[in-house]
Amino acid sequence: MIKSVLHTKVLPALLGGTSRHPLSADLIHPSGVTSDGMLEMLSLLGQALHFTRPLSPDSFTVEPEIKDERTILDAALRRPLVRLLTGKNATDHPARALARAFDRHRLRPHPFDLPLIDGFVRSHAEQLGTTAQHWADRQKPEAETRSYFDPDLLDESNWVHPRLSRRVAFLQQRRHEDADAARALLESNWPNEEAEARFRLLETLQTRLSASDQTFFGTLEKDRAPRVRALAAKFLSRLGAGTGNPSLQACLERIKLSQSGLLRKRTVLQLELPANVKDQAASRWILQTFGEVTLNELARAFHFTENDLIEASAKDDSLLLALALIATNDRRLDLLERVVENVPNTWQRMFESGLDTLGTTTERERQRWAEIIVQPYRKDLPTAFALWDWLHRVMDESAPASVMSMLMKSNFLKRLPDRERSSPPWLELLASICPAQQRSDLRAQLAEFEPSQSGNATALLEILDGMEKNRTHAKES
Amino acid sequence: MPFTLDRIEALAPDQASLAAARKLLKPAFWPTLAEGEGLIWGECQGSGATPYRVAVSEADAGYKCTCPSRKFPCKHTLALMWMRADRSATFAPAPVPEWVKDWLSRRRGTSSSPGKPKEDSKPKTQPSIRLTDKAETEVTDPKAEQRAAAARERNRLDREAAVLAGLDDLDIWLADQCQHGMANFVAQAAQSCRTISQRLVDAKAPGLAGRLDALPTRLFTLPGPVRPTAAIRELGQIHLICQAYRRAAHIPELLAADARQAMGWSITREALLSDSDGLRADAIWRVFAVISEAQPDRLRRVETWLWRANGTDQLLSCAVLIDFVPLAGGAATSGYVVGDEVDAELCFYRSTIPLRAQIATLKKGATQSSEPFNLPAEPLGVSYAQYEDALGTLPWLGAFPLAFCSATLRRSGNRLFLHDDQNKLSLPLTSSQSDEALPLASVDHIDGIGLWNGYEFTLAWAETPLGRWLRT
Repeated sequence: MIKSVLHTKVLPALLGGTSRHPLSADLIHPSGVTSDGMLEMLSLLGQALHFTRPLSPDSFTVEPEIKDERTILDAALRRPLVRLLTGKNATDHPARALARAFDRHRLRPHPFDLPLIDGFVRSHAEQLGTTAQHWADRQKPEAETRSYFDPDLLDESNWVHPRLSRRVAFLQQRRHEDADAARALLESNWPNEEAEARFRLLETLQTRLSASDQTFFGTLEKDRAPRVRALAAKFLSRLGAGTGNPSLQACLERIKLSQSGLLRKRTVLQLELPANVKDQAASRWILQTFGEVTLNELARAFHFTENDLIEASAKDDSLLLALALIATNDRRLDLLERVVENVPNTWQRMFESGLDTLGTTTERERQRWAEIIVQPYRKDLPTAFALWDWLHRVMDESAPASVMSMLMKSNFLKRLPDRERSSPPWLELLASICPAQQRSDLRAQLAEFEPSQSGNATALLEILDGMEKNRTHAKES
Repeated sequence: MPFTLDRIEALAPDQASLAAARKLLKPAFWPTLAEGEGLIWGECQGSGATPYRVAVSEADAGYKCTCPSRKFPCKHTLALMWMRADRSATFAPAPVPEWVKDWLSRRRGTSSSPGKPKEDSKPKTQPSIRLTDKAETEVTDPKAEQRAAAARERNRLDREAAVLAGLDDLDIWLADQCQHGMANFVAQAAQSCRTISQRLVDAKAPGLAGRLDALPTRLFTLPGPVRPTAAIRELGQIHLICQAYRRAAHIPELLAADARQAMGWSITREALLSDSDGLRADAIWRVFAVISEAQPDRLRRVETWLWRANGTDQLLSCAVLIDFVPLAGGAATSGYVVGDEVDAELCFYRSTIPLRAQIATLKKGATQSSEPFNLPAEPLGVSYAQYEDALGTLPWLGAFPLAFCSATLRRSGNRLFLHDDQNKLSLPLTSSQSDEALPLASVDHIDGIGLWNGYEFTLAWAETPLGRWLRT
């Protein structure tokens, strides 16, 4: 029987049912007396269909060409990386450390590993290169994706193309070098920026704020994004222009000014917390209330210098916490250091406040910030996992070498409660924040633990070392 | 902490486990015994198609074995510890293999009292190694043997009759489906197939029953429009198997053997290995795919696909080891992982297309190899033609390995296709691979191997300019 007959006559009958579409008698050839031939037709047609080659689609999708200048992770590191990131016990600290290392060394995961580490790629796409960003965006509509361009060197001609965090870093660097040129650069592309980008790029102008920026900030008072309008108003207020910072008034209403001292009268500032804000919630309330105020504004409101402001607040821990948060926000680490001298537990209070970002600070500033808040604990480092966990999340950097030395020398792991000492999250966290030059020391301490406890931490250190070598080899070749 | 016999006794779940472990103490059972970084590991050829892999941490007596036993620790683990304790075998120092590292990374960590079972879980009488010393003597009675053989033959005849009666019922059921139409069948496939498969189980044709039971799931993994035609293909094959089984005396012997296997007549490992006419191939094999699939009968079917790494035998260039393990508590994957290299003699089941095999002799333990895959330099179209030849020989052929070179992976909508431009052939990839294989779409050309089931291609291994890609 020819194939066309099977397809044109038998197939419709079997699809619709032979009771409604009977097969014509001339088609049926029973194999025996007990057979009516229908099942033979079923087998014959089935086999003919088996031999029909699958149809090719009319057209195939043209895959986008993605230019990724980063070096692919060394093959030897691929499997340990996947194992570490997909292990059922893995915490997100190694993932953060790895994402930073990918970014710092200009490396990217192997494209074939992207499906295996999908969660990691989605969480840290910006740090993993354009191929990974394309992977993370693959479900998004085309309109929501941007061009994937991540050159090794950025300049004023190409700075608008890469991912936002690189653009922010570039603009920040330009602002340090030439404040007016950086502002002009931002102004030139301002209409094309999305709300999130406008806000984050505008934040960079906080550095070297000057009267020459005033005109630009004035044009932003009618920006569509409320966050951008508020930030511009804040900057104008700092420059002594504009309508003033509305948050400042709310802060001033809560600060009580008085005089103290018998021989020498000193001004004392005291923060009065609302009656419904209890101890546990105080830190959070302080962050919410003082989050939009600058030290400069606050000092000017009391006709103080910034140093005087700290001195006048020295007896009030809550107000000092507010000043510590403001100093962090303003990147005034010199003032933060002074505040911490008066409030040694600033670290814990900041943790309680719910501070979750250090804004547009540089890597060095973040490390210095951590150094300042950890320093008072040098003789008795806290053993609460939540504090270290928070520190790593907020800083999103490796710990300063001095902090890591404190950890190593204090036999920190031995001081932990028995139950926690050998828990993988602690060891993973320490490996994640360990600076490169101290990895060998940490490795020696980890050797005292069972492989099942220290396995992930040791693997992370090895991968991080391997990534450094990977980058060095790539540069040499 | 080194292993001692006392510690092993404390760990053993019962006396029977210790007795079973004693039988495995011969180093000949263990092609691999190694140690490193406080761990010991080994491979033991058991009753499964693939050897069991055992790893033990000496410090805390943590262990892992790939066998499906529900006793913890199993006899393989106990035997490994035992050999370590009494130094009856040599453990070669070696770097920790990837499968052991994988296990370590998934471990929960140590319990509060490592190596000691909880008080309430202890049996009333402590298992004792000393008690296993008693020699077990098997007394054979020739008359009893004869009676048993006669009973087996009676059972076989009864089963033959039951199967043939079941096939008659199946014919009626198939005819009903043809009358109602395949579009209608697809809509009611789950219930309809369940009923007839239960009747076939009663008729002692478990192979055919399983095929019918799994049919609805198979249909529903396919795109909606092709399901009715797929139903015709599947039911047509089932009828062919029935006909081949009935006419076993009139068709080639190997095809009749295929029909019996498809019906569910099993061949024991011992019977297979003792068959002097069976095909054997002594070679180095590469594991290129491990497919694990849950079956409706609450068993997991684990297929370990091997590709011959040396030699030029076209007929026996590929093999599949099949294990069935309980869904609850059984191992989810094979003891082997993709990329392992195995030096072994395989014994193939009798078939027109010999693929299924058992390991007859394992020369040495499996090792991970990074060597390039020894693939034939043929385009996909040529491999596909071989598949068509094989389908002509064995009409109910299942998954078939297709090795290819210079193909591309192309995307159309959400589906991926393995494309051979030269032969204008595009095979749709299984939808479960649409994410994991997507990175290959940006690669210029790929050489590789995978499995074609007549509907979808499961890409298992690919060598590309960007390096090696493996199915997970």
